[in-house]
Amino acid sequence: MTEVLIIASSRPQFSVLADAISKFEALGARVHLAGTFHLSAVSEQMDGLGLDAAAVHQLPRGLGHRNQAIRRQAAKGPRGLQVWLQAQRDPWLRARARSADLLVALDQNAVYTVWRLAQRHPAAEARFGLAPALRALQKIQSQPDDGRTARRENTLPPLGVVGRDIRRGVTSVPSLLMRTATSRRVMRTTLGARLWRTASTAPGLPPAARAATARYVAEGMQLAGRNEGASLALRNAAAKISDLALRAELLDEAVAPALKRGKSPSDMDQSVAAHLAHADAAFAAGEITAAKDALGRALQLHFHRVIHIDQLSSPLTEDPESYVDPLYRSTAMQALSRPRGRKVPAADAPTDRPLRLLVTVSANDNFLHHIRDHFSNHPGVELRFLDLAASKPLSRISWAAARILEDRLSDGTSPYQEEVERLMRPHLDWADTVLLEWAVGPAAMLTTIDPGDTRVMVRLHSYEVFTRWPHMTDYSRVDDLVFVAPHVRDLATSLLPQLRGEQAPRIHVVNNTIDLPHFVRPKSAEARFNLGLVGIGQVPKDPLWAVRVLKLLREHDERYRLLLVGDDMDPSNSQAARAYRKDFEKEVAPLVEDGAVLRLGHTDDVASKLTDIGVILSASVRESFHIAVVEGAASGAVPVVRDWPYYAGKPNSARTIYPSEWVVSSPEEAVQRILRTTADETTWLNAGKLASDHAMTTWDWSVVRKGYEELFLGED
Amino acid sequence: MSSVGSRPHLIYLAIGFPPAAKSCAYRMRETANQFCNEGWDVTVVTIAREAWEADYGLDLTLLEGVDPRIRVIELPLFREDLETDIRLFDEDRALRPNAWNAELRRRQVEIFPEPCFGPWKDDLEEAVLRIHRETPADLLLTTCTPYVNLAPAWRLWQEAKVPYAVDFRDGWSIDVVDGVEAFARDSAESHWEQKVLGQALCLTVVNDPIAEHYRARYPSLADRVHVVRNGYDKDSAPGYVDSTHADDGLVFGYLGTVNFTVKQLQTVLDAWRAAREQEPLLKNARFELRGHIGSGASREANKHTEILKQAEVDDVFFGGPAAKADIASLYAGWDAMVLILIGGKYVTSGKVYEYMATGLPIVSAHAVEHDASNVLRDHPLWTGAVGLDSKALADSFIRAAHMAVETTAEEHKAAVAHADQFSREKLMAAGVRIILEEYATRYAGKSAVIEGSTP
Repeated sequence: MTEVLIIASSRPQFSVLADAISKFEALGARVHLAGTFHLSAVSEQMDGLGLDAAAVHQLPRGLGHRNQAIRRQAAKGPRGLQVWLQAQRDPWLRARARSADLLVALDQNAVYTVWRLAQRHPAAEARFGLAPALRALQKIQSQPDDGRTARRENTLPPLGVVGRDIRRGVTSVPSLLMRTATSRRVMRTTLGARLWRTASTAPGLPPAARAATARYVAEGMQLAGRNEGASLALRNAAAKISDLALRAELLDEAVAPALKRGKSPSDMDQSVAAHLAHADAAFAAGEITAAKDALGRALQLHFHRVIHIDQLSSPLTEDPESYVDPLYRSTAMQALSRPRGRKVPAADAPTDRPLRLLVTVSANDNFLHHIRDHFSNHPGVELRFLDLAASKPLSRISWAAARILEDRLSDGTSPYQEEVERLMRPHLDWADTVLLEWAVGPAAMLTTIDPGDTRVMVRLHSYEVFTRWPHMTDYSRVDDLVFVAPHVRDLATSLLPQLRGEQAPRIHVVNNTIDLPHFVRPKSAEARFNLGLVGIGQVPKDPLWAVRVLKLLREHDERYRLLLVGDDMDPSNSQAARAYRKDFEKEVAPLVEDGAVLRLGHTDDVASKLTDIGVILSASVRESFHIAVVEGAASGAVPVVRDWPYYAGKPNSARTIYPSEWVVSSPEEAVQRILRTTADETTWLNAGKLASDHAMTTWDWSVVRKGYEELFLGED
Repeated sequence: MSSVGSRPHLIYLAIGFPPAAKSCAYRMRETANQFCNEGWDVTVVTIAREAWEADYGLDLTLLEGVDPRIRVIELPLFREDLETDIRLFDEDRALRPNAWNAELRRRQVEIFPEPCFGPWKDDLEEAVLRIHRETPADLLLTTCTPYVNLAPAWRLWQEAKVPYAVDFRDGWSIDVVDGVEAFARDSAESHWEQKVLGQALCLTVVNDPIAEHYRARYPSLADRVHVVRNGYDKDSAPGYVDSTHADDGLVFGYLGTVNFTVKQLQTVLDAWRAAREQEPLLKNARFELRGHIGSGASREANKHTEILKQAEVDDVFFGGPAAKADIASLYAGWDAMVLILIGGKYVTSGKVYEYMATGLPIVSAHAVEHDASNVLRDHPLWTGAVGLDSKALADSFIRAAHMAVETTAEEHKAAVAHADQFSREKLMAAGVRIILEEYATRYAGKSAVIEGSTP
């Protein structure tokens, strides 16, 4: 009997595997399957493979059975090494490998385990993939046994392999020693932690040794739960290192664990400053690669989504100019943001033929439908749509942050500019006007090249101002920057010096595009007491604020309920989302049980859901326009809008977008407004009617489209 | 074999020549056969059969149609990245496969600017020089991919001034799938392309948009760029077989390499499911897919395979590759064809011609602006190009079902007749004559090979 041992590190494609196993068995082979993935979680599919229970084996799913030094070594190594360290000592695996004629790695991360087993069992064939394994099996069976079975049973590992294994062990001794010396047990004690922290700052240590010691200490402290201590060890060591690159590296490592946990690190400024100092030094020395790497990392950290996007507040909105000031004092950053301008101004729209309008996006065209539909059928426009994400070459250049930085810092001498030229020039040549949706990577990419006489428009919605991309865009090559809300415009112009300079683009505010008439429908009988929150999938939507409003309201009248429409927050998006979701679930569970909160989930038909909603809430900490509120208002629900904290108190905010009576400063104020406007059926219906009329006459596409016609065609 | 005498000698660099189970094998086979017919001795240079085992495999039946006078030299060249024998891996490759692959590519393009194939340059050059030493060549025809095939053509030109023609089929400097230029004008690839095409006798490609690209890119080459479409093989077209399977359930078929994205496949399967829910004619219909999926370690073990397995509940069946010899009978069992293609205006594919020749209704699952749409435009049983929208595709499946049961035998035969203009034999014969005319024009006194051709 020919023995086949298959090893998988992740869930296989079960139908394919079942098919292959039946082919192996048809050739008279006995198949064994070992996996480091969670076998019992997919027991139904595993049963479908048709293997005996004894032929299937769960390898250790983690490294809990190995000592801490090994675990730390694995954490630093490639995934294939981790799989091997998990499986290495498993008696079942060792026994099956000894008797196997054919070892098969089912996925890439299982290859190293098969490679190591194959070194120890030289009589077995070893293959990656099922079809190659099947061919190998046919080859094995076409050859006479010639005592193969006996040989593989009795073969000892070759001496060379044993020797190499020993050498591997010896060479990893220093790291294992350090990891043992800075083990969790040691670092849990105050004395041990302090001793080791001191060790990394001891005078006279060479920089490399100091950095290595600090890293082992930080690793141990993190395992011991001393996160701040770990960060401090790295910061202290960095303070004693003059090498700018190494210092920046250590300070980066000091903030990384907090970011990974979804927390804003307290020492982020130091880390950003270290990267900027390194970038400036490298840039001055003409080391463009090092400069762009350092500047890129500084930008990434300064505009990290954990700090600005996944939180309920952002340091960026408090004092935008001060926030970006350290950045723009960097010489490398100044080189990045230097306006390159254009040789000729954008040409006027043609008068003898329709305007050629290229609408460009990278995947997310959620807010483009009306523009596309309207201008596709407009006699004065010939519209083309370009989705950069749909083409591999265009997608590759659209988000190439490092290449964009390299190009700017090398003053346009990198191959990137040529590539953008080659791929985008045909589109620019065709278009009279390019509308680039979202001010992110594609805007930075397109402004790498001179657009010729093509007019370039970029539309910035909201989240973009919290990212690095607007700082990597050359606005001297943008003719028109379109915002959908004035408070976002204010924030962007505060953050971006280029928008205030001589070569700044024309700035417009044109409302987002929404088709409202189909939201106007009769309300159901129970709608008056139903609050609605549409869209709860991201932390800044802050649905807990709405829950707070509900709870306060129910102290007055238990008929009020909260209807949640939309997908729940996906905990896998970020640690911050995971933490928020956990708090949210805890808070909302008893309310769901009481029937006070209804979770309606995702829908493609919001208009129908709104018929049951009498009060539409905006609970968000930031929005540009909050379409759900406008749709709700159009439907006749009474709008209650939180004064979005990111913008509250500024010259423009929720209060300047919506009628002031819609906006509230606190849950308590929200409760007062709701009680007042839903006091009786007539009051509620009147308030809803007023809101609907306002929405229809202000924000419906029939009104807003004139703004876009004027923008594209100069039509009034 | 010797060319010394009446028959001139062609070295044909055709990596993918039968028995490689590659779609390009048909064009290569017919090209070589046509040169034989035109009175040439042909030496084909390809790679070892074992190398195809790691790629898309072999189809030995393809050899049946190869003119026995053709000499085939198989070089022992293998793609290192497709190796699946773990014993041949070093520890670094086993441990860090992605980094190892990246480093391999970096090394490969240093030799010739083409990942995976660059290292074959020296062996191909030596092989061609050796063949020429043994049997002097009058002409070399190189067909790409791989583009490393340009290097030996150039070397032989440099050392022995043997004229060469290039059959790019698709094209190097144009990314036919995404419809953009594939590399910069001052890149190593561009230097090679410009240098080799500059001295080429002529360049042949499979459709007009690609030809236009080359004429625009190299104006001095413009009048030497010719379109030689792919066409279909008569022996794999059953003609129309009057055996609609409406009672037992209609059978829709796809035959070809599964080289499209998972998303595209999913869209087609969603459309199929939706069509079956709406259309009584499709209630008991089957959708059979035949061809190669994946290569190397993921051969027949990738996401596509899994999706197809899961779609069995909707009577979708993947039956693996079909031997060339079985294709006619396979088509005879189907009632409608599903043409799933990647790319846009620069892509035609070979299968569009073969599908047309079946005389069966054709459902198009590809971009609207696609060269296959140009070929199909006048086909009477085409459901039209509706793009990759699952709802529109579902309607196409329904239209095709009705065409399958409502079309008369005469209409089917008319559809077959429409395809006749695209028989590979006719197209390749014309293509080879174009090359030989260029040859005769440039090398006066050698025109006898055209005039005096003997089948």
